Amino acid sequence: MIETGLPKLDDYLHGGIPKGKTLVYYAYPGVEGAVFGMQSLCHSISNGINGVYVASSTEPHRIREQLGEFGWDAEGCGDRFAIIDAFSGLIGADSHERYVVADPEDTRSLTQCIKNAMEDMREPGVIVFESLSTIMDLCGESETLDAIEEWNQYAMLYDHAMIYNFTAWPYSDDTLLAIKEDIFDSTISVGGITGNVIFGQYFGVLKTNWTDAVRKFILFKVLKPGGVRAYIPKILVTGPFDAGKSTFVHALSTRAVSVDRLGTTIALDHGHVDHKGFAADIFGTPGQERFDPIIKLLSREAMGVFLILDSTRAEDFARGRQMLEITRSFGLPVVIIANKQDRAGALTPENIRGKLDMPENVLVMPAVAATGEGVFEAFETLIDMVMEVG
Amino acid sequence: MTYKLGIARLDELIGDIKSGTNIMMIGPPISGKDDIANIIAYQGLLDANAAVIVSTREPGNNVLEWFERYNLDVPMDRIGIVDCVTRTLGFGAPDTDNIKMASSPVDLTGIGVKISQFFEHFWMEMHLRETRLCINSLSTILMYSNLQTVFRFLHVFTGRIKAANALGIYVIEEGMHDEKTIVTLKQLFDGMIEIRESEEGYQIRAVGFTPKPTPWFDYEIDGANIVLRS
Repeated sequence: MIETGLPKLDDYLHGGIPKGKTLVYYAYPGVEGAVFGMQSLCHSISNGINGVYVASSTEPHRIREQLGEFGWDAEGCGDRFAIIDAFSGLIGADSHERYVVADPEDTRSLTQCIKNAMEDMREPGVIVFESLSTIMDLCGESETLDAIEEWNQYAMLYDHAMIYNFTAWPYSDDTLLAIKEDIFDSTISVGGITGNVIFGQYFGVLKTNWTDAVRKFILFKVLKPGGVRAYIPKILVTGPFDAGKSTFVHALSTRAVSVDRLGTTIALDHGHVDHKGFAADIFGTPGQERFDPIIKLLSREAMGVFLILDSTRAEDFARGRQMLEITRSFGLPVVIIANKQDRAGALTPENIRGKLDMPENVLVMPAVAATGEGVFEAFETLIDMVMEVG
Repeated sequence: MTYKLGIARLDELIGDIKSGTNIMMIGPPISGKDDIANIIAYQGLLDANAAVIVSTREPGNNVLEWFERYNLDVPMDRIGIVDCVTRTLGFGAPDTDNIKMASSPVDLTGIGVKISQFFEHFWMEMHLRETRLCINSLSTILMYSNLQTVFRFLHVFTGRIKAANALGIYVIEEGMHDEKTIVTLKQLFDGMIEIRESEEGYQIRAVGFTPKPTPWFDYEIDGANIVLRS
């Protein structure tokens, strides 16, 4: 299997792309689709797999810069990484790449370079196309569709995985249908949530012929450095006064701010988490009852909830349960954090579940937010739950 | 929600331009189209709009320098430039708050992403509901890509202008393209600003906003102002 480098997508594809198979990232115009192929390529070459990038709308030196901006060290992979330069010929620039397409407007010229590169790769590898749409614009729709079939057959012969970035400009219906449903083994939709503007981006598996397609869509953000990150726009952290909510938010976050007075949160905590391919914005509520209207406001559109409890203060548990009701969190994925487990008299997670009268399926996880113990395990658990719902 | 061009006599004659309008500006070389495009963008900034300028002919910094040159008080948080030039010159300049770099004028996918990012930023984070997009110029894009490709790109983005209740201005060099190209592209626009050469210099008029085109006006560009004469 060749992993895509996007952890959740690899889960949905049952490990990634089998050797000899093809995958297209089918992106809608205006959505950041090109980074998907780049990330898949860099993940492969950093794992010791040979990778070739077919550059059709960017100069090779600029591609190397782009990879650097995402924090991916392609050059450090030596001969495992090569570029097929199908751009310089278009603007009449010199090229020092191993593979240079003499006429980027002719699929035969491109095919020859791709075959050469495939033959030179001594082991099965991955070939990633920067922009299939640019090739289609230059060479024509039907010519490109024919060429893709040839490239894919060749890849199958050598057991290479093929990954294409494609932007779905308004080509003919037949072309779009062929790309979306026919000529690739798997299609990953990369789309935008649109209204007046594109205000969110998502990806999901539309089709795959080596496993059952998981029909779920994941919001994402593109980070520099970092690349594509599955993204949860809002996770709520709530709980009674002095349970350790702010400490939890800060322990989890790459960066965080709190609006507090003398150490007590009076408006909110906000943090951004970037962890193992996932990004999330987390919002911590105040705990005191007089701030309940703010809590209600903050909880709107949350996708998951942490309820933080001080494991030594059973008298606050009823307030914790009340806060779940205020935030209308029932029905959303919830993880209850049994915080301050290092303190004398701390109740166990099982005891806490019993005292809260929560059903068996509600997770109560131990943590010590002050030292960071257990916070990322809880984050990973909640992310999994949110993704399952999504 | 309406827009004004910032060209006084034309604005009087054509009235308010409704949101979602896409305008082609076509005229001969060195007739001041760059200045006029910037003046229209500047009018937007004066009207508390956001302005997104796609620059295919000069680096993004030069566009910002135009505003500085005339000592215009530009609210920098409301201006975004998609620079399609700097990286083709071999400079590895990073994106800034005001300038996002596209790989080249060929990279329509990348240009589209950068435009969308500015639109999202102004709408979602700045809560600005009026934005002007100025692509200067389509002619450069047409040098690198065929008509069909550019038509597809514009088909998507003129639609986005309508969805965002924005104003789109697209500059084209007269004489660089055949009649078929101009006729094909015209289908996508709601109106035109035409410029022609005259004995005195250059003339300008607006077409498609009123039942009849406006009269031709001689004009002079004085810094960041355009002065029309009868």
